[in-house]
Amino acid sequence: MQPISGQAIYVVLLRELKRFWRAKARIIASIAQSFFFLLILGFGIGGLFGGALGGNYLTYIAPGIIAMSLLFASVFSGVSVIFDRQFGFFKEMLVAPVSRTSIITGKILGGAVTASIQGILILVVSTVLGAFFIDLRFALGIFGAIGVMLLITAGFVGLGVAIGSALTDFHAFQLITTFVMWPLFMLSGVFFPIDTAPLALQIAMLLDPLFYGVELLRFCLTGYITPLLGLLGPLITLGVLSGFSLAMIVLGTYLFSRAEA
Amino acid sequence: MNRISIIEVKELTKVFNGSLTAVDNISFTVEEGEIFGFLGPNGAGKTTTLNMLATLLRPTSGTATINGHDIHKDPDSVRRSIGFVFQDPTLDTELTGRENLDFHGRLYGLTKKERKERIEEILKVVQLTDRVDAFVKTYSGGMKRRLEIARGLLHYPKVLFLDEPTLGLDPQTRRAIWDYILKLNQEQNVTIILTTHYTEEADHLCNRIQIIDFGKIVALDTTENLKATLKGDVVGLTFKEPSDAKKMLPRLNQLEWVQSALPVSGTNNQVGMSQMMQIMQRMRGMAGGGGMDGMMPSMAGSGGSLPSMPKDPEKMTAVMKAMGEHGEQLMNFRQIQLLVDNASQRLPELVKIVDGSGVELESVQMHKPTLDDVFLSVTGRRIRDESGSMIQMFRRFRTMRQARGGTTPH
Ligand SMILES: Nc1ncnc2c1ncn2[C@@H]1O[C@H](COP(=O)(O)OP(=O)(O)OP(=O)(O)O)[C@@H](O)[C@H]1O
Ligand SMILES: [Mg+2]
Repeated sequence: MQPISGQAIYVVLLRELKRFWRAKARIIASIAQSFFFLLILGFGIGGLFGGALGGNYLTYIAPGIIAMSLLFASVFSGVSVIFDRQFGFFKEMLVAPVSRTSIITGKILGGAVTASIQGILILVVSTVLGAFFIDLRFALGIFGAIGVMLLITAGFVGLGVAIGSALTDFHAFQLITTFVMWPLFMLSGVFFPIDTAPLALQIAMLLDPLFYGVELLRFCLTGYITPLLGLLGPLITLGVLSGFSLAMIVLGTYLFSRAEA
Repeated sequence: MNRISIIEVKELTKVFNGSLTAVDNISFTVEEGEIFGFLGPNGAGKTTTLNMLATLLRPTSGTATINGHDIHKDPDSVRRSIGFVFQDPTLDTELTGRENLDFHGRLYGLTKKERKERIEEILKVVQLTDRVDAFVKTYSGGMKRRLEIARGLLHYPKVLFLDEPTLGLDPQTRRAIWDYILKLNQEQNVTIILTTHYTEEADHLCNRIQIIDFGKIVALDTTENLKATLKGDVVGLTFKEPSDAKKMLPRLNQLEWVQSALPVSGTNNQVGMSQMMQIMQRMRGMAGGGGMDGMMPSMAGSGGSLPSMPKDPEKMTAVMKAMGEHGEQLMNFRQIQLLVDNASQRLPELVKIVDGSGVELESVQMHKPTLDDVFLSVTGRRIRDESGSMIQMFRRFRTMRQARGGTTPH
């Protein structure tokens, strides 16, 4: 077993960053998509919304839209190990004297950083649209939010790597989107607060790890957290999210290391 | 001079999914400085063997050492000792050539200074200096291959594995890559193991060649010795009608100065794998009823001696009948390849015999034995011929029977 190699982590991370930066069309598309969501849903449904945050729907959904982009970017980044190992560069890394743990650590870091950069860009867009009340609390909250973004994305890249290592057939991509990503997204409390949902739905939402991510992100950016979680809300969500992310990183690393080239 | 074996392979075996034996108990050694070739058709087990040596696949059994390091006990040192150019491209096309090389250097722990110097040096060898800062997606196939070879050499490996280095490249580019490979072997003092299913490539590059078929080594020697196992000349007779060829085959085999006569299946009678299995099923049934053994062509020893068809025409017809309609189909060959002593003198006599039998020849070719002919003689088929020839079927049949514990006719 080889030790963790800083150079190997750096190589994979740098590669992810370069590829991310060079695929500008993809970044623009993802920002535009979030922009339309914010604009149309935020202002369109806004009038019907009587729930939390004084009824300001744009403020309510903005953290969720950020989380949506984090989710999709990070899971896809993780799942791309299928392509990497079949078509390319990873095969070359797998024959190098570096451990798979280093390779996958770099992959998870790279995926988390690039997905979080997208999240930050959408945070900027929603701020410009007036989603957030700008004060000192918000200014400090941004730092928390960035931390939460990294935590969310690291976990979901881990999940993606786990899926990508277990599957060898990339035609299953569509299935992943339909049966993993959309349920995770829809149940995360992006569109409606959990306390207004029927009980069965509430349970399903509480089982969705992204729900805790969205809650925590919303708490950082707006100070609001669902009353259902009680006073310890922020701590509980942070605990659950960290547990999930850690578990996914370990699982992804394990499955990736185990698979034969 | 006492040379060191840089690679020692002992009884290496890989079984996939518990049933498919891709590499079957192979052993060989490679000397330092050699260019050593694996020649074999698609699916022979070449890539699987390299992957095991490179510690990418776990062998089912057996072991190997590379540069003195055991692949099981010290995979890290094995990896440091080798460079690997994969059969399928593994460049990151979204990066530039230099970035690909630089990343590689980092993975192998080269310092910044070492990387810079070595990249310049190796780029000169493969003549890519002027394109190195362009994105790899703008490279031609040959340039990509050269970049991959350069990358495989960046970290000063003792052994370079080249898996099908010129697959899919045009003849000119192939020539150029050959030149690089020879140059690298000499100038960089690196041992090269390459796989190929181009006999010309093996012939041109390799000091020694190992012919591998169905996961087994069927021949291993220097290129010269392999060709020398076929003493004499190769004469190819193409007949107008398949029936004529069929009629002539046993006759020609009986001639004293004909070492062997092999049917060569043409492209118009491709027999797929599933058909082959059917045939074998049928043959197995026949064999169970007894009486087949005496009819089996003798194929003793695969190292160099030639398999031959049953000399008795009646027996041969019986074998064909035993194989049913597919046998007929397989026997639909129009070409016979002979190994003849002193062909230039025998040719007139040969033509006379054929003429006298009342059959019509379409063409006659003659050449010194090539690796292609060696391949045909040890495996019973042409290397790029996906269809099975009769000999190959007998071989398979025999292997199956052995596997089932049956006796083997000799
Ligand atoms: N991962 C795998 N799982 C199952 N079977 C495999 C796997 N890899 C290879 N095989 C099988 O093992 C056999 C040998 O394959 P291998 O790739 O070693 O052949 P090869 O000699 O390199 O052929 P080619 O010239 O086509 O590259 C083939 O029958 C192939 O289908
Ligand atoms: Mg191969």
